[in-house]
Amino acid sequence: MIVNNLFLTPLFLPILAASIILIAKSFLSVKARQFCEYFGIIIGLLLPILIVLLLYPFVIHNGSISIIIGSYTPKIGILYKFDSLSLVMIVLTNLLTLPAWIYSRSTNTSHSYFTVLILLQSAIIAGISMTCDIFNLFVCLEVMGLIAYVLIASKNEKNAVFAAFNYMMYSSSSMIFFLLGSFGLYRLVGSLTYQEIAKTLVTLSSKDQNIAMICLILMIVPILIRVAIMPLSGWLVNAHSKAPHAVSAILSGILIKIPLFVLIRLFSISPLMHNLTLVLSYMGSATALIGVILALSQSDAKKLLAYHSISQIGYIVTSWSLALHHGIETTLGSVLLIAALFHAFSHAIFKGLLFLSIGTATDAAGSRDVYKIRGVNQRLYNKGEKYPLTMICFFIGALSIMAIPPFNGFFSKSLLTYYIKPSINYTILSIASIGTIASFIKLSKIFLPSKEIEKPIKELNTSKFPFSIHLSLIILAALSLLTGIFAKEIFNLLERMFISTNIKPIKYSIFFSKTNVLKTLYTGLGGILLFVIATSKYGSKILHKLRMVKNDFIDQYVAYAITLALFFWVLIV
Amino acid sequence: MIIERVLIFFIFITGFIGLISMKNIIKKIIGLNLLTSSVVLLFILEASRIGDEAPIIDNKVQNIVDPIPQALMLTAIVIGVCVTALSLAMAVRLYKTTGSLDIEIIKQRLEDDCE
Repeated sequence: MIVNNLFLTPLFLPILAASIILIAKSFLSVKARQFCEYFGIIIGLLLPILIVLLLYPFVIHNGSISIIIGSYTPKIGILYKFDSLSLVMIVLTNLLTLPAWIYSRSTNTSHSYFTVLILLQSAIIAGISMTCDIFNLFVCLEVMGLIAYVLIASKNEKNAVFAAFNYMMYSSSSMIFFLLGSFGLYRLVGSLTYQEIAKTLVTLSSKDQNIAMICLILMIVPILIRVAIMPLSGWLVNAHSKAPHAVSAILSGILIKIPLFVLIRLFSISPLMHNLTLVLSYMGSATALIGVILALSQSDAKKLLAYHSISQIGYIVTSWSLALHHGIETTLGSVLLIAALFHAFSHAIFKGLLFLSIGTATDAAGSRDVYKIRGVNQRLYNKGEKYPLTMICFFIGALSIMAIPPFNGFFSKSLLTYYIKPSINYTILSIASIGTIASFIKLSKIFLPSKEIEKPIKELNTSKFPFSIHLSLIILAALSLLTGIFAKEIFNLLERMFISTNIKPIKYSIFFSKTNVLKTLYTGLGGILLFVIATSKYGSKILHKLRMVKNDFIDQYVAYAITLALFFWVLIV
Repeated sequence: MIIERVLIFFIFITGFIGLISMKNIIKKIIGLNLLTSSVVLLFILEASRIGDEAPIIDNKVQNIVDPIPQALMLTAIVIGVCVTALSLAMAVRLYKTTGSLDIEIIKQRLEDDCE
């Protein structure tokens, strides 16, 4: 029993830490407050990682552990289940929140509120990753959304508030459909836990099963909005690009992936959902391609990164839905799931790195226009940065997203594309990765030296560069490099978690095989070629036209309706 | 039973139209509220199918309504209040910075500021 309750610590410790910080803020002196904040981060973010990792052998041994909150009887209480998926999600969240928090120390506006919010965020994500109850999932998703809206609007910029408002209206209204769906399921089945629903659904008549499918679609689409798969991603770009840099890193790194992995459990409710997976994989590939084309056309540096988040989530969705298509119990399915998880992990790391370094660079330049900013390094030097660390860290992130060895992006993308190989998805994703390289060449031009900026006189240059920015960048860059170098060990860990038998299906020879190296080379050359075409007169005209395409508030609902109709058509007709 | 469902459906549609087609952001927020209320009503109506009495265990448990939807809706109402409060706070911020509540004008003015 005691061991079982330990699994709830990732949920309770951050809430405890948040309350300690709030109490300290109201009653204690400034120094004690600061101490409490550090203490809160240690027990709220670091301690759960440690506990969860210590419980790793337990998970491997038992598979999954069921806990009922408050030790009620199973009919009344809320059922939580801790398995390998929850473990990965919790580690991902807490590991990525930490550098973002360190970065946020450099901007000195309302520290403790930010700390409290991200602690609550990590608690809620722990809840989402473990819950087995539909209504509890609804509550967790809504609270996660509420915290995200507050975080986006926390910067004192008008555009940020507007983006948050837009996101909030869209997401909250779609969550009402989620509620309707859970209502329908409760009426049919009379229970709210996944297992009970799955058990009862099989016994129903085919007409009732169709109603259950409609309810499940109503629940899945709002979650896909949070994931921002292509027609549903209208809210993402503004929300992610207008938010403060640390928040952008958290949003892109964590918040768009957690709902996706929760969906695995919803898909397990009914075997009929299987028909949807292939459609989702095509949607994912299309998302990857369209996202990268739109990214290439952007002039705002952070918008470019936001479109890349959409594109990369397309990769993850493709691999994830193909895993479900083959069945996550089969060897191929579990390898694809591992690939999706590892790509989610490495995307979280390098996208966090990119958002933070580009954020620092654009702040120093005072503009976000990729076409206008030049000589960021000199400007950063003028601000007191002695070594060009920001630039180095940006390039580590960029090389990682371009899938160049030895960084983690190379391993995750190679694995992902190798196992989906003879399919149309593979072709689309390969084209998308050419676009990724072209757009990052475009973005890295902001580091080109410029003659306009003069060097300041040495005696006057006393400004000090905030240490916390460097620390967070170094942590993320090191993580990116280390997860690349130790990719084999990480795959081993994941294999032990997700594959019950003793076989090790991932072949490590695929990474540095002749075909893969040649493919990386060709992709690189293709990227350079595409960049040249894009900067030519004709290319830049097209990109300008793409950039001017605007999306309205209502367009999002049209996309929502289209997706619903598509899913209904696939599943029922 | 059917007449209540039709009425709830009308509340739902009213809320949805308000959310989508109204230009005023306060009206949009009211639309969202109506949407939430209609779903809450639907749950409560459904719970009362099997009984009439309030689900309080006194000395006899007979003819009571299904207690679970009521418990769920309590939580849903709380979430609805949170969303409303936060969105109204944002509406105030938007009005203070742009001087308008019309979503088109707000968007226009924010874009003008950027350029």
